[in-house]
Amino acid sequence: MPDNILTLLFAVLVFPGGLFALAFGLILRGLDRRAVARMQRRVGPPLIQPFIDILKLMGKRTMVPEGSNTFVFLWAPVVAVAAMAVAAAMIPIAGFYRPSADLGDMLVLLYLVTVPAVVLMLAGSASGSPFGAIGFSREMAIMLAYEGPLLLAVVAVAMVAGHHLGQPIALSLADIVAVQRQQGAFILDPMLWPALLAYLSFIPANLGFSPFDIPEAESEVLEGPLLEYSGPALGLLKLASALKSVVVIGLGIALFCPIGPSGGAGLLVWALQCAVVTVCGVSLAKAALGRMRIDQAVLFYLKWPELLGIAGLVLAVANL
Amino acid sequence: MGFMQKVFRRSPWLYRINAGSCNGCDVELATTACIPRYDVERLGCQYCGSPKHADIVLITGPLTARVKDKVLRLWEEIPDPKVTVAVGICPISGGVFRDGLPIEGPLDRWLPIDVNVQGCPPRPQAIIEGIAKAIEVWSDRQ
Repeated sequence: MPDNILTLLFAVLVFPGGLFALAFGLILRGLDRRAVARMQRRVGPPLIQPFIDILKLMGKRTMVPEGSNTFVFLWAPVVAVAAMAVAAAMIPIAGFYRPSADLGDMLVLLYLVTVPAVVLMLAGSASGSPFGAIGFSREMAIMLAYEGPLLLAVVAVAMVAGHHLGQPIALSLADIVAVQRQQGAFILDPMLWPALLAYLSFIPANLGFSPFDIPEAESEVLEGPLLEYSGPALGLLKLASALKSVVVIGLGIALFCPIGPSGGAGLLVWALQCAVVTVCGVSLAKAALGRMRIDQAVLFYLKWPELLGIAGLVLAVANL
Repeated sequence: MGFMQKVFRRSPWLYRINAGSCNGCDVELATTACIPRYDVERLGCQYCGSPKHADIVLITGPLTARVKDKVLRLWEEIPDPKVTVAVGICPISGGVFRDGLPIEGPLDRWLPIDVNVQGCPPRPQAIIEGIAKAIEVWSDRQ
């Protein structure tokens, strides 16, 4: 049906994926930089600094290093942005936007969330730089470590929501949101707090923020996979990471706290929730903690968030 | 001034090269970025880890024989149009190391320098002034 296709295209390209998510992600990024600066008692850059940076990068030239795989090097950032635009269209905004089931369920979303990390690995190895290769191996190690807590937290929520719906597991985010709007948000259920903590600890590693910005560490591996990028290609990678923060934070809100009222106010509440998670969950850790070593980060994830995730799953299932 | 030029003026990314510096100037550079009173981030600046992302390059140190080739190669990697800022007295004249055997400087024998920031080490205010001047030069080159 052409109608349906047009709606889907609109969702992916304009709202809530595409343009809207890009603008919102960049504002969240600016808010984060500003918040970190304020926590360090600096003035900080203007809120629209990320927009300015992206525009500047778009006005520069992309250099392709000698000895790189040109095709992969130039197309990897495009893939990351496309995957994240689709993923952003799959995130429900409580009371305002319900993603179409045609876009796919949560399994598709979980696969899409890993795409930017895979792209970063591809980009790092295609650039032909030894620093890119180090970034590649670090990205892979930390990805293996943080995927566990993510999956455990998501499965715990999906099983609880499925129980309310009379299914073994609820795989549609829209259903999970609907259940919470009837039964009360899962953030109020102490049995799901371990899962919530596991999800919160997954956010900084997935977004590549301190103390888990190890694959892209400027001072040790010269930004790793991003080292050889410049101009629009670098801009696209930055856009993909801005989109990813909307996706990951929006997914967290949909899983645990979709409490917005119906209509336009729902969008506003959702935006505020995203801002609060960014400042409290990301900026605070960034301002307070230094970068970990890769072995410390992997051990940390395999110990605490993983344990929390398992505890969350057991509690959630035992309580059904 | 065109739109893009305005954009460019508000987003200069900085890259640091240590050409055999005693680290005094590097500490001052870190101070310029991190200490609340100075904060260059509010100008839109950002220290970047890769020479390929850089717009303005800050060089410290008297250019010793050991690092000369590496410094020149790194400088080549930075895309044009770039602005080169010599931070501290060492890259300008050699400073206290002036007539030393391993010194290949002053830096302008090898590279075109756009802005000089004097001092041993220069005060953060001076570095910020130098960066502001470099932004002027840089936006003229767009």
